[in-house]
Amino acid sequence: MDAYLIAIGTIAGIYLLLALGLNLQFGLTGLINFGHVGFFCVGAYTSAILSTKGVPIPLSLAAAAVLAMLAAWPLGIISIRLREDYFAIVTLGFSEVVRLIVTSEGWLTNGVQGIAGIPRIFRDGAGEAQAVLMLGLTLAFCFIAILAMMRIVRSPFGRMIEAIRDNEEAVRSLGKEPAGFKMQVLLLGSMLAGLSGALYAHYIGYISPDQFIPFVTFQVWMAIIMGGVGRISGTIAGVLILMFFLEGSRFLRDFAPFIPEVSMASIRLGVIGLALILFTIYRPQGLMGDFTKR
Amino acid sequence: MKLTRRQTLASLGLAAGAGLLPRLALSQDAGAFRIGALNPVTGAGGPYGTGMQKMILAAAEAVNAAGGAGGRMLEIFAEDTQTQPQAAVLAAKKLIDVNKVQAILGTWSSGVSLAVIPLTNEAGIPLFHCSGAPALSVPPANEKKLGYRFQATNDRFGRAFAEIAKKEGFKRPATMAFNNASGIGNTEGFTRAWTAMGGEVVASVVYEPAQPSYRAELQKILDAKPDVIVTGSYLADTTIILREWYQTGEETKWIIPAWAANPELVKALGPAVVEGIISVDSISNEGSPAFAAYDAAYQKAIGKSGLGNVYAAMAWDMVTVLALAMEAAGPGADASAINAKMRDVANPDGTKVSSFAEGKAALKNGKINYEGASSILDFDEFGDVTPDFAASFIRNGEIKREYQVKL
Repeated sequence: MDAYLIAIGTIAGIYLLLALGLNLQFGLTGLINFGHVGFFCVGAYTSAILSTKGVPIPLSLAAAAVLAMLAAWPLGIISIRLREDYFAIVTLGFSEVVRLIVTSEGWLTNGVQGIAGIPRIFRDGAGEAQAVLMLGLTLAFCFIAILAMMRIVRSPFGRMIEAIRDNEEAVRSLGKEPAGFKMQVLLLGSMLAGLSGALYAHYIGYISPDQFIPFVTFQVWMAIIMGGVGRISGTIAGVLILMFFLEGSRFLRDFAPFIPEVSMASIRLGVIGLALILFTIYRPQGLMGDFTKR
Repeated sequence: MKLTRRQTLASLGLAAGAGLLPRLALSQDAGAFRIGALNPVTGAGGPYGTGMQKMILAAAEAVNAAGGAGGRMLEIFAEDTQTQPQAAVLAAKKLIDVNKVQAILGTWSSGVSLAVIPLTNEAGIPLFHCSGAPALSVPPANEKKLGYRFQATNDRFGRAFAEIAKKEGFKRPATMAFNNASGIGNTEGFTRAWTAMGGEVVASVVYEPAQPSYRAELQKILDAKPDVIVTGSYLADTTIILREWYQTGEETKWIIPAWAANPELVKALGPAVVEGIISVDSISNEGSPAFAAYDAAYQKAIGKSGLGNVYAAMAWDMVTVLALAMEAAGPGADASAINAKMRDVANPDGTKVSSFAEGKAALKNGKINYEGASSILDFDEFGDVTPDFAASFIRNGEIKREYQVKL
């Protein structure tokens, strides 16, 4: 049981990093990024390729974060001035382009066969100890990211990006150019996604292009919407709720043994869908939503 | 950093919620041999996963009815992979850590099996799968020799395609592959086998999934004037490609895997378009007593003929072989002792048996050779099997099997 909880915790931590990045972009700045998985994918492949070629893992993790950030830069240059819905389309397109490049450039990424045997971050000691260390590392990254977010929210930079979210025209009329701030936010969020992707690759041990479909982006969106957009506590709560629904429903059968195994899988998806609908009807601000604004 | 009242309440609430998680205690039978049925109930494998899971349950019931294996009853814990590696990894972790299963049976897509096999290797338990990717045969995936493949590799599928193309007298084949491991595996296997026979592939194209039209790819192939097009494709894309091909009016034949060239394809396009298409599938060990037993169980559980789901037949065999290996290893054997007996109960040189009960009795008098429902089930050194293949032709809207191909 413990090892399973550790596994859930690790995956939740990886999702939390992704969600924190998206929360910074959408929740605080109002950038509708539908291509978050693209940066996740860049990070995962960077670290996987480098570490299987013998690069030490701390370096490959750093490279993953930096490369994901660099991948966001040209995207930002061409699209950051677009209106929010167009930006959403461009980012969605970007994530599909990344997936297609990874699929097609077989010499580098092993194409559709994927990369197997990605080394784990902690290789010494018993399996249990490794798992705990991995969980610890993931949570440490999350903790640092959360602290950084809190600093950002309280800083002048944070007030500026929230102002951009609330009224871009007003910001402009005060003599500030939103594009530069948006670019910084895009780069920061992508860096978190890249780091999260690298952790994912080393944790799962096998990556292939079909793991980086837009559905991953929308799972993260689901999490921040359920938790409460724009709030750090909401992001954490949303990821926990998502994991609770995805994984907790596995245990539903232990309380309801009359449900046949085969129906269970369909019921799980149904329960998640129902929860999402109920959230949008009764708690549109999300669980931790801010009721004082908007 | 200062906490506001709101934040304090929120974190307290979260902590209380998290505290509830470990209370989800489970009841488990002591002494039973626990098996994880990890099948693609939803997602791309959905059409097969339900049948596979039900057949694992049914086969386990048959084993238990015969008094259990190695003195132990089988207990099944079922999970859904959602045909997604990440969901499968969590499900496998749950099966291994919470349910303490001693074998995982029935992963389907290659991506899922490749993601799960490091976990089963680490736990030292066998993984039985029906995936096609060649990487699953060799290290690092199969370094501990705990992985067993009950399905033909994509490479073997390709070889079967080449045999059929040769038998039909085609001279100028071209290939079209769906861009994933299985699609490309099929056409690459074909190209390898075909060039080894001294033939030449006149054109080949790999296409992206989920396009509304494949006219550009198709035109590139047709420009090379092939006499047959071999595909590694799925139902949705095959439907579009064939419709567009029919509109061009070009004369060419098709060799298509049976998971794409099936009755639904005929229904979608009408008999005129699909006339003469050759549909290739690995076939279950039809006519064998094991297949009859499986078919009866499948009819009872699903209400359809077992012929329609080759993977369910594989799932049936997975439980039966595992139980026979347990019986051969004796009471209280651990996973590695059971693993060591796998080839002893499935491969030649031994009394041929076709069910667990029969095998259990025959094991008292020496070696046995289980002839399964899905194939004769002889594992090579990599844990792979070589099933037979069949070529079926679509004529007047009916898919009729014409001959078998043995590799």
